[in-house]
Amino acid sequence: MIRVLALLLMAGPAGAEVMPSIVAPPEEGSVSPADGLAAWDRVHQVVSHPRCANCHVGSDHLPMWSGPEFPEPRPHGMAISGGDSRMGIETLPCATCHVTASTLDSDPRQAPNAMIPWQLPPVEMAWFGLDSAAICRQLRDPALNGGRDWVELAQHLQEDAGHGGFVAWGFAPGGGREAAPLGLQTHIDDVLKWGAAGQPCPE
Amino acid sequence: MSRAGRIARRGFLIGSVAVAGGVAFGAWRYTRPLPDPFAGTDAGALNPYVLIDADGVTLVAPRADKGQGARWLQAALIAEELDIDPATARIIPGPVSAAYYNRALIADFMPFAPTDTGWLAETARGAADIPARLLSWQMTGGSSSTADGFDKLREAGAVARETLKQAAATRHGLSRADLNTADGAVILPDGTRIPYADLAVEAARLEPVTDIVLRDRSQWRWLGQPMQRADVVAKSTGTQVYGIDLVLPEMLHATVRMAPWGGTVARLDPVAAEGMPGVLRVLPITGGVAVLARDTWSAMRAAAALDVAFTTPDTAGDQDAIWAALEATHDAGAIDTRRRDDGDVDAAIAPGDFAAEYRVPFLAHAPLEPMNATVLVTDDACTIWAGTQVPDFAVARAAALTGLPQTAIRLENQMIGGSFGRRLEIDFIAQAVEIAMAVPGRPVKLTWSREEDFAHDQPRPAQIARVRGRVTADGVQALDLTVASPSVIASWFGRVSSAPPGGDVSITTGAWDQPFAIPHFRVTGLRAPETVPVSSWRSVGASSNGFFFGTALDEMFATAGIDPMEGLLRLCDHAPSRAVLEAVRDLSGWTGRAGGQGRGRGVAFCLSFGVPCAQVVEVEDTPQGIRLTQAFAVADVGIVLDPVNAEAQLSGGMLFGLGHAMNCELTYRGHAPDQTNFHAYEGMRMHQTPAVQVRLLENGPLRGLGEPGVPPAAAALGNAIFAATGQRLRQMPFSRAVRFA
Amino acid sequence: MELIVNGQRRSLEADPQMPLLWALRDLLGLTGTKYGCGIAQCGACTVHVDGMAVRACQIRLADVTGEVTTIEGLGTPDAPHPVQTAWIGEQVAQCGYCQSGQIMQAAALLSLNGDPTDEDIDRAMSGNLCRCATYPRIRAAIRAAALRMGGV
Repeated sequence: MIRVLALLLMAGPAGAEVMPSIVAPPEEGSVSPADGLAAWDRVHQVVSHPRCANCHVGSDHLPMWSGPEFPEPRPHGMAISGGDSRMGIETLPCATCHVTASTLDSDPRQAPNAMIPWQLPPVEMAWFGLDSAAICRQLRDPALNGGRDWVELAQHLQEDAGHGGFVAWGFAPGGGREAAPLGLQTHIDDVLKWGAAGQPCPE
Repeated sequence: MSRAGRIARRGFLIGSVAVAGGVAFGAWRYTRPLPDPFAGTDAGALNPYVLIDADGVTLVAPRADKGQGARWLQAALIAEELDIDPATARIIPGPVSAAYYNRALIADFMPFAPTDTGWLAETARGAADIPARLLSWQMTGGSSSTADGFDKLREAGAVARETLKQAAATRHGLSRADLNTADGAVILPDGTRIPYADLAVEAARLEPVTDIVLRDRSQWRWLGQPMQRADVVAKSTGTQVYGIDLVLPEMLHATVRMAPWGGTVARLDPVAAEGMPGVLRVLPITGGVAVLARDTWSAMRAAAALDVAFTTPDTAGDQDAIWAALEATHDAGAIDTRRRDDGDVDAAIAPGDFAAEYRVPFLAHAPLEPMNATVLVTDDACTIWAGTQVPDFAVARAAALTGLPQTAIRLENQMIGGSFGRRLEIDFIAQAVEIAMAVPGRPVKLTWSREEDFAHDQPRPAQIARVRGRVTADGVQALDLTVASPSVIASWFGRVSSAPPGGDVSITTGAWDQPFAIPHFRVTGLRAPETVPVSSWRSVGASSNGFFFGTALDEMFATAGIDPMEGLLRLCDHAPSRAVLEAVRDLSGWTGRAGGQGRGRGVAFCLSFGVPCAQVVEVEDTPQGIRLTQAFAVADVGIVLDPVNAEAQLSGGMLFGLGHAMNCELTYRGHAPDQTNFHAYEGMRMHQTPAVQVRLLENGPLRGLGEPGVPPAAAALGNAIFAATGQRLRQMPFSRAVRFA
Repeated sequence: MELIVNGQRRSLEADPQMPLLWALRDLLGLTGTKYGCGIAQCGACTVHVDGMAVRACQIRLADVTGEVTTIEGLGTPDAPHPVQTAWIGEQVAQCGYCQSGQIMQAAALLSLNGDPTDEDIDRAMSGNLCRCATYPRIRAAIRAAALRMGGV
C-alpha cells in the first residue's frame, strides 16, 4: 500500500522538465503476459535503435556511429574510446567534442550534445548487438540494470529526460538525426506495462 | 599593404630591373626583356627577386607556398648567392608578373620520359622556355618550384650581390674584384662593412652586373644544411596569417551555396535567409547563391537554411553510371595516347596469362584550410587576397568578370593551408569577385564551409585499369596496361583557360614512363567522358598508375615465385632508380614478403616528376584489423637543398598516399558526393600512422619532392596486405575489403 | 556578453548560439584558432576551457562557463610554451593549418600525463587531423616537450 501511494505521488511532471513525462504505473499484475510481451517488443524497438544502442556498448568501450553515410553502425571514427570511466579517456574526454550544452539540439553531423556531460552508459548495461531476449533479461536483472525495479527503470527514464540527458537526446537528437522511435511517453508507458506484466521476456 | 606596395608609397628608392636567369632562345619576340614586375612602384628592385630599402632586404618568392616550404626554399636560393642569412630577410610572394614564368613545369608537359636524356628530349625541354614565356605562367605545381628556381634564383642573388659590390667599388674608387660580401654587407679591402641597404640607391642606378659565376656546392653556407623554415615559428604560435585569417577595415563576410556540378539555381526565395540575424544580403551568383553577412557563422547558418532548389544536369552523375562509363570506355578502346609500345605484347601474351582489373575512386583534395578569397572592387581597380597556384589565371578571370583591364587587378598571394592541387582552381576567387562587385568599395571575405568544399571539389578521377602480362621464372616478359580515365588536363584547362588539343599524357603518367626493361611493354590511355569535373590531385596520373603498375608487377612476381624486390631490381634499367630500390631494400632490412608473426611486407616503386621513389610497407594482421607497423621510403632528388623539409615532404607524401588508399573515396549521387565532411573521409590519422624512416639520394637530376612520395604508397600497402593475409586488393579504398586497426 | 580569453575579460555583442570559434575569429580577432570542418572532425579549432581541450566549433557562447585559452594565450613567438618550443625544434609544420589545434591538444595531454607512451599519444591525438600527415614529427615533438617539461 505504501508502495502504491509512493507511485501515485510520482505520477505527474517533476522539476524543471526539458522533456516532461508522466510515470503512472499500472497495478502490478494488471497487465497480461501477452500484453506485457507486446509492450516489451515496443521497448526493444527503442533500445535497439542505433540512437540508443550505439552507446550501450561493451567492455571495449568503443561507441558506434550511424547515419546516412553509415547504413550499418560502425565504430566511432578517430579510434575514440569511452575508456574505463566511460566518459572518454582522461586526455581525450567525450566532452572535448560532445560539449555540455544548454540545448539538446545541434547541427547536422556535429558532435551531438546533451545537457549533461557526455558519456557511455555503465558497461554492465551494454546491449549493442544482443538480441531482444538477451536485452530483456538484462533489463530485468537489477544486477545488470543499475539496481532498478521496473518502476525505477521508468523513473530513471523520466528523470534523465527531465534533465536533458541521453534519454531526452535519443528522442530529440536534433540536426536531422533519426530519433529513437515511439517517443518518450510511450516508451515509459511500455516499460511500465511490461513491468506490471511481470517483465516477461521472449524466448 | 604588401612590402612592395609599402616601398612604393615611401618612394625614396629608384628602381631599375634586370632579368636574371632568363635564357634567351631564337626569335626576338621570345628574347624581349621581360616586364618589370615592380615598374611604376619606385621599388628598390635590383631584379625581380631582390628588393632592398633602408629596412633591409626583401626576397621575392613567386611560387605559392601550400605547406611544401617553397617560399622558404626560394628565399634560401637567392640568399645563398646574395650572402645574407635568409632568416634575416623579409620574404614576399611578389606581384603577378610574366617575369616569374615557370619553365620547369612546361618541360614536364613534353612527351619524353623523365629518364630520357637523349638529344631530342633535352632540346625539347630547353625549348619549353618559349611557350612558357608566351603563356607567362606564374604557376606552382608539378613539384617544379625547386627545379625551376635552382639556377634562376641563385643567379638573381648573384647579380644583386655583384651589382651591390659594383656600387661600393664605384663609390670608393676600387675594383669590384677586390671586394667581398658577407652577412648582408659589402666588405672593403680594409675591412670596412657597408650594409647593402646603404648601397641600394646607388646599385639600383647601375646596369646590373651579369658576368657572374654561381658558387660550387662546397661553398654553400645554408643550402644543403639543416635550416629552420621561416614560417615554423609563426605556424607553431598561431601567428601565421593565412588567406582565411585576413582582416580588412569594413570587411564583410560571405559564403556560397552552389548547385551540384553542372546544375543551376532553379528557384530561390531569399526572404527568410535575409531576415536571419547578421545577414545582409542573399545574392545569386553564377551557378549558385552567395550570402553576405556580418560574420562567417551568420553567413554559413543562413546559407545552410537557404530556401533554394537546383537543377541537375542530365549527364550521368551517379557512381554506378560513372563506373559503367569507364567500363564502356575500355570496351570501345579508342586510344587517346600510347606513349609506350615496345616489342609485341599481343604476340607475347597468351590466353590464360596474367590478367586483372583495378579500380581507383574519386578522391577529394580537402586541404584543411577551406577555400577562401578576399576581394575589394572599386570603380577602377580590383584587389584580390587569395592563396593560389595560378595567379595569372585568377587575374585574367577577375578582369573578365569586372570588365577592368588586367593591369587594374592586383593579386596578393597568401600563405596556403594545404592544397594537394585544389588551389590550381580559381572557382572560389571568381565567386569572391562576383560577390565583391555587388558591394563596391567594401572588401568581402568569402569562406567556404567544409561541406561546400567536399561538394565542389574537382576530384582526382575514378579510373579503371586493365592489365595483361606474361611472367616466367626469369621475370616479367610482357606487360600491357590500359587505363580509362577522364582527362584532368582537358577538364582543368577548360575551367581556368581553354582546353588544349591533343591527348592527355597524364592518364598514363607513372606507367608508360617507368624505367623497366620489359621486352614487350605497352601502355595505353583511353579517355572516358567527364561525368564530374576532375583535377590534378597530388601526383596527378601517377597517384593511380603507381597503384596499377606496382600491384600488377607484384601479382606477376607472386605468380612466378619471384621475390618482388629482386624482381623489380632485375627489371630496372635506370641507375638512379636501381640505387633507390637497393637503398630501400637495405633501409628496411628486406628479407622477403613474409615478416613472421602475422606480418607481411610489400614493396613498390614509381618514378614521377623525374624522382625515382621506392617504398616498403610492413603490416600486421591483428584481431583488431590490419595495423601498419613500419614504412620506409627512399627517393632521389638530385640535390637535397633543405634536408629537414625534404624528409618531411617524402614522409608526408607517403603517409598521404597510404591514408587515402586505406580510407578515402568520393562516391557520387546526382553529381554530388555522398561524403560531406571528414567523418566520411578520414585520410590518415595519428593512430594509423606507422613508424616512418626515409632516406634521400643524390644521383639523378635536381628535382622537387612535393608529389613523388605519393605514388608508390598504395601499391606497397596492398602488396604488404597480400603478403600478410593472402588477400589481393585491386580496388581502393582498401577499407572496402579489409578492416584497419 | 563577457568571456575571459587568455586571461583578459572581453566583452562582445554576439548571438549566444554562435560557436566560440567564430566569436574568437571574427569578433575578437584571434585567428590562430582555425576553422577546418565545423563538426569536431579535425580538431583545428581546439582551445582550452578551464584547461581542458575543447573543440571551439562545438561550444556555443552561451555554454562557455570557464576561462578560455587559445593558441595565442599558450605562448608567443618571443615566449613560447614548451610544447611550442618542441614544435619549432622538430619543425613539425608543413602547411601548418592544423598545428594550433594539435599544439593545444598536446598541451592538454601533457598537463595530465607528463610521460605519455606512444599509445597514450595516439589515443589523445587521434581526433586531430593533419592533411599533410606530419604525425611522425608530432609524436617526436610531444616526446621532446615531455622531456623538456619534466626537466623544468
